[in-house]
Amino acid sequence: MSEIGRLAIVLGFIVAIWGAAASLLGALRRDKSLVTSGTHAAYAFSALTGIAVLALLQLLLARDFNVEYVASYSSSTLPLWYTIAALWGGMKGSLLWWTFILAVCNAVVQLQNRRKNRDQMPYVTATMLVTGAFFLSLLVFITDPFERLPFTPTEGSDLNPLLQNYWMTIHPPSLYIGFVSTTVPFAFALAALATGKLGDAWIRTTRRWALFSWFFLSLGNIFGAAWAYVVLGWGGYWAWDPVENAAFMPWLTSSAYLHSVMIQEKKDMLKVWNMVLVILTFALTIFGTFLTRSGVISSVHSFTQSGLGPFFLIFLGAILVISLALLFWRLPLLKSKNELESVFSREATFLLNNLLFVGIAFTVFWGTVFPVLSEWVRGVKITVGPPFFNQVNAPLGLALMFLMGVGPIIAWRRASWSSLKRAFAVPVIIGIGTGVIALVLGAGNFYAIVAFSISAFALATVLTEFWKGMRVRQTMMGEAPWVALSRLIGKNHRRYGGYVVHVAMVMIFIGIVASSIFKIELQTGVEVGKSIEIGGYTVRFDGIEDESTPHVEIRKAKLAVFEDGEQLGYVYPEKRFYKKPQQPTTEVAIWSTLGSDLYTVLGTYDPDSKVGVFQIFLNPMISWMWIGGFVMFFGTVICMWPSYAERTSEATSRVPAGSRTAS
Amino acid sequence: MSRRIAIGALASLLLSVAGLLGTVARAEAPTQNEVETALTCQCGCGLTVHSCNHVNCGSALPLKKEIGEQIAAGRSLSDILSHFENKYGEVILSAPTTRGFNLAAWVMPFVVLAVGGLMVVVVLRRWRSGEPGEPPPVSAVPSSAESGADRELRARLERELQERDT
Repeated sequence: MSEIGRLAIVLGFIVAIWGAAASLLGALRRDKSLVTSGTHAAYAFSALTGIAVLALLQLLLARDFNVEYVASYSSSTLPLWYTIAALWGGMKGSLLWWTFILAVCNAVVQLQNRRKNRDQMPYVTATMLVTGAFFLSLLVFITDPFERLPFTPTEGSDLNPLLQNYWMTIHPPSLYIGFVSTTVPFAFALAALATGKLGDAWIRTTRRWALFSWFFLSLGNIFGAAWAYVVLGWGGYWAWDPVENAAFMPWLTSSAYLHSVMIQEKKDMLKVWNMVLVILTFALTIFGTFLTRSGVISSVHSFTQSGLGPFFLIFLGAILVISLALLFWRLPLLKSKNELESVFSREATFLLNNLLFVGIAFTVFWGTVFPVLSEWVRGVKITVGPPFFNQVNAPLGLALMFLMGVGPIIAWRRASWSSLKRAFAVPVIIGIGTGVIALVLGAGNFYAIVAFSISAFALATVLTEFWKGMRVRQTMMGEAPWVALSRLIGKNHRRYGGYVVHVAMVMIFIGIVASSIFKIELQTGVEVGKSIEIGGYTVRFDGIEDESTPHVEIRKAKLAVFEDGEQLGYVYPEKRFYKKPQQPTTEVAIWSTLGSDLYTVLGTYDPDSKVGVFQIFLNPMISWMWIGGFVMFFGTVICMWPSYAERTSEATSRVPAGSRTAS
Repeated sequence: MSRRIAIGALASLLLSVAGLLGTVARAEAPTQNEVETALTCQCGCGLTVHSCNHVNCGSALPLKKEIGEQIAAGRSLSDILSHFENKYGEVILSAPTTRGFNLAAWVMPFVVLAVGGLMVVVVLRRWRSGEPGEPPPVSAVPSSAESGADRELRARLERELQERDT
């Protein structure tokens, strides 16, 4: 099977190179047969990488420890689900997985565009296949996932225990889909630049892809935070680690693009800027991949140090040089109408929103690379950790949240002072009122009061939009409230889906602020039968239970949770000792409510004195973050749902011309 | 107007930087939590001393004890951080200092934002000097009580209502 896998990646590499060359030559010579050959190569590339992935999966499931990758990332006792997750648990497998997702995206793009965008498609195919060829070249020439060992170990080293968690089975695939699918808008942007067809076509074609990649980047970040929260056991979910930053940066530039592209669609402005954002987002995904695989910056999340760094840097350099050269070449064709009637307009707020998104992205980038710069310039190692990122980004995040409130209700083109006053009166009153209530309730922290005020303001503007739209429909159509609301959303998926995403962002923001500022924590030793008090909860240590499986030893503490004297239930924080990698891990146990999470961690237990040492955190409103993630999912699905016009247009295009005439 | 906005934006940014640097360099009596957060654990967890996820960490626990002793001795935050910096090197500080080359870490994001802000101002000015567009759409059912945004919303809804499947 390893031979089949190896053959598949070698052939895949050759096919990708051929497909890219044929597509480019076909486009330049206007040779349809070459272009068709390029398209066929794209499908073949997808099939071959699919075969390679299946081959590696089969080797993992068969526990073929003669294959170096299988021996390094699995074991005979690793549960099935994590054996499948081992496919992306190591560097080689993750690169193959990345290439496979790219190949699937490529095949879908080919199918979607088989009857449209025919001038641009050869360039799109070439861009995606060159990217695919780059990744496969690493697997073929440098780090072969199908490499066999000169001997067969009796047992594998097992998957890193930190990765043996359900979030880890969905976090990397989500993030990879988000990363890889940014290639599609990038490829169409390059195709638009190459062909000179710089109208809205490429934007319309890639609208859903841009949203799709943003959605999966969002999911990847949220799932990653959830994984860190339940696995790392420090009571938090985000530590501004370089790998977390690598996933966050493209999300920021992608978010900026989703806003600024609206200005291009509505006003035919910001054409160059949108190109820059698409290029930057793709480049940042490659930069993130470089960070995790080069070893240039240390991180608890990164793969082992490898020699791949220079190759990623060269590829990144080539992407930037080629795309920016094309952009510079086409600048004369990218001139916009550039009209603005007033700085009090949605266009102006979107510009500020872009400034903040990109400003935060730069701050994250700068803080991530600064230790390397410091070492180069001064020869001194330094750390750039959470205090830096929090201090610089917190005010920018607040400003962004404020703009999120302003954007939906400020008019396009021009908003008069009187209309601004009318539109903002209620949201501003609600915002200030919330701040006052927070103050009265004892939220003494300045940042928290401002953050709650701004969140309430932003939420109020979105809800006001829903309310006004619903009322207009009720008045004009005589519809019942729920009918009016559902039809309002149904008639403009993008707008109202976007508002639902804004509501999700407010929820996530509130969760971040409350859990960061009002967290309570303690570390203490407690004897069996005795209790600990924390923030209104009483936690009683009822004893220790030990379990053993061939895979792992588990020491489980039984903690009874009480509130106001009433027992709510039990939580079971664990200490695990994985037998193959001989590594201990901490499994936290959480009593979660909308108000707060009681987050318990078992440190040590002394059987003689029967004293357990626990870390216990009370994280206020943190579940709002995860619920916000679900709301975001819901909002994005609304945004991506095809409109009536799109559905009828697609249905019409599927009906043969003759039958349309006959009907 | 634009110049005033630009000056205002720049002043805000400079005040923000000054505020941040002031926070970093202030010399009040610190709390244990504050100092722990300002130091990075040396066990390899990548977290601050305060957040280290190893309950009996061989690095975080002695550091926490030492921090407590420093605070008890009445030393200021900057003195305590200098003490640990001298002992372990700059790598122990969880944020760059505000001296020399490290100052660039703090200043550069705001320089970029300031330059970006100026560019936004320039772009807005250039856009405003362009030809005005068509007048905004007026609702078929105007209402003197409606704001511009309300009128736009009503006009949009009217357009949508005219679609076939209503």
